[in-house]
Amino acid sequence: MKKIIISTLALLACVAMLSGQDASTIVERCDSVTYAPEDQVNKIKMILTDKKGRTQEREAIAKQMGNDYRLFRFTAPASQEGVAFLSLPDDVMYLYLPAYNKSRRIASHVKNQNFAGTDLSYEDMESVPMSEKYDAKLLETNEEGHLLELTYKPGRKSDYSKMVTLIDKDNYTILQSDYYDKGGNKVKALKNEKIENIGGYWIITDMLMTDLKKDHSTQMIFSETKVDTGLTRDDFSLRILERGF
Amino acid sequence: MKTIKRSLAGLLAVVFFSFEGTAQFGQDNALKFGGNLYIDHRVRTENGEWSWNENRLDLSLEKNFNNKAALYGNIWLRSFGFPTLTNSDQLFNKEEISPYDIDIREAYIDLYGFLLKDLDLRIGRQRIAWGTGDRINPTDNLNPDDLEDIWDFGRHLGSDAIKLDYYFSGLRLEAVYLPFFKPAVLPRGDWAEALEPPLDLPPAIQLRKISDSLVTPGYKIGESSSYGARIGGFLAGYDLSMSYVYGRDDLPLQFYNQVLLVEAPATIDIKSRLYFPRQHVFGADMSGAIGSIGVWGEVGVFLPEKSTVMKTDLSALGFPDIDSVVLKKEAYARYVVGGDYTFADGSYLNLQFFHGFVTERGRGNLNDYFMLSWEKDFFNRKLKINPLAGAFIVADWEDIPGNHAWVYNPSISYYPNINTEINLGYRAIGGEGDNMFALVKKKDEVFLSFRFDF
Repeated sequence: MKKIIISTLALLACVAMLSGQDASTIVERCDSVTYAPEDQVNKIKMILTDKKGRTQEREAIAKQMGNDYRLFRFTAPASQEGVAFLSLPDDVMYLYLPAYNKSRRIASHVKNQNFAGTDLSYEDMESVPMSEKYDAKLLETNEEGHLLELTYKPGRKSDYSKMVTLIDKDNYTILQSDYYDKGGNKVKALKNEKIENIGGYWIITDMLMTDLKKDHSTQMIFSETKVDTGLTRDDFSLRILERGF
Repeated sequence: MKTIKRSLAGLLAVVFFSFEGTAQFGQDNALKFGGNLYIDHRVRTENGEWSWNENRLDLSLEKNFNNKAALYGNIWLRSFGFPTLTNSDQLFNKEEISPYDIDIREAYIDLYGFLLKDLDLRIGRQRIAWGTGDRINPTDNLNPDDLEDIWDFGRHLGSDAIKLDYYFSGLRLEAVYLPFFKPAVLPRGDWAEALEPPLDLPPAIQLRKISDSLVTPGYKIGESSSYGARIGGFLAGYDLSMSYVYGRDDLPLQFYNQVLLVEAPATIDIKSRLYFPRQHVFGADMSGAIGSIGVWGEVGVFLPEKSTVMKTDLSALGFPDIDSVVLKKEAYARYVVGGDYTFADGSYLNLQFFHGFVTERGRGNLNDYFMLSWEKDFFNRKLKINPLAGAFIVADWEDIPGNHAWVYNPSISYYPNINTEINLGYRAIGGEGDNMFALVKKKDEVFLSFRFDF
């Protein structure tokens, strides 16, 4: 009887390990698709919608290199034009406010705050591969894709407790993600509404982030996307952050 | 002469047209025009007197030349203050009825990759904002203070300057040269009086009038110019920088008083002379985070080039001259430490301590300031309240009840749309002693400001 119990436990452990390994593989493949282009640049139109259906629009330009470097700059409306955000390796983030002629490191207490009134937090904006950030568990694989539960690796701090993410079975792009707070409540939902093949890479061109608590959403429509443009580290520096593109 | 001008024009044309070409992605080479309209009215609660009337059109333009160069300009057009009408002749003068001013805040050109790939040049009127403190920056000494609105402390004038930025090994080295000296703009009204040094006269003496004259540096390289350098980088999770400035104090210092007997036996006039002393400023600053709390610190060590001795000439009264040292040739430090935190509910707390306000000079004359601000927004950032905002000032640690001040400055902001901010607030000041803030106590005011960005 003891042997049967031990064998059963061993089998369950193996299944768990296997499913864990599968989940990790899926996440790594997803990262490799997300960060496949050497770099990409695009224009972004943001449509913010509140619970009464009133909308506000914002525009920005963004560029990204590999999985560590991202620069984002508002071009409209007038009150936010020039506000820019730089994400660098090792969780280093800077915000540039043109009114003060200064850029400032973003401390971790700000990372959970919404970026410039959108439904994306600074953490959502940072450029860090999922495999570095999360431990993954495969919940199920269905017709839509692989459903994963992502929990933060030890040492990683966030206001979120976990994410449940659906990854396309064929091209390994993220289809949707649900964000949960520490109390286990679903607080945000991300849906990638349009994914296009641009220059041989799968690129998200329309996404919707909804803050379920506030019943407020931000749609981000990407246009004029270009990939492998030859950006270098110099394009992601304080020098560029402060002077513009 | 015409030939030189033509050659110069030709050269400039070559320089600028060589920048024109196929724009890369993200580059917008079109001339951009924007700014804001800012309206600020304040009224004293004690007597209903209007204390501030500012209607400012802040206009900016910029043009990028394929990321090889850029032009930037910022100008204020203002209808500012109140007319002081005393006779009917003034009614023929529109400027007397509706006072206005124009202020060219910045106007410069940037040349990127100037001579060297990692060298940028900025030339023209510019703001060189150094330091990590929140509006209190002891290392920010190249541009003169613009203290016109004391509540907007931290504001500076632009300076005509040449600035070089060199980037290497993750560091940034700045070198700045300012050919001309420009003094600070002093605050208006009651604040100007609070800045005047106290005058202790014997009870029998009656003062009729004080007048002064400024000794300004001549427009010569050796006299009017300033320079500075700063090196900064990122180390062990912190942004760090060190700086040095050799320039002049932008606030004038009294060095001579002449007492004149205008009516026997004891009615006098005083004529003063003031100058802008030379000084060295050694600076260092840092910013980063401890845990999840944002932190910053900044120190400026000021070393006057020489002691300033104020001579008071009492010969008209038959007394010998009196000499007193108003600023010693000894280093003194102004410094700031602060932190901020955003709570899970989105409210924001900012705490800052600083030793020495922008108007304070010399060891032993620096007061201690504790500042606090807590704000929270509601309704998707439509409304922001700032109920806990203010400062406590200690001018004498051994006699806090007798020499201190406090400022309470709550406000509420409403954003009817993304480009508009309406701000309503109250400023109360209290205190005891001879510190600047205590001298303007009971001048409480309500303010209403409006800003529209375009």
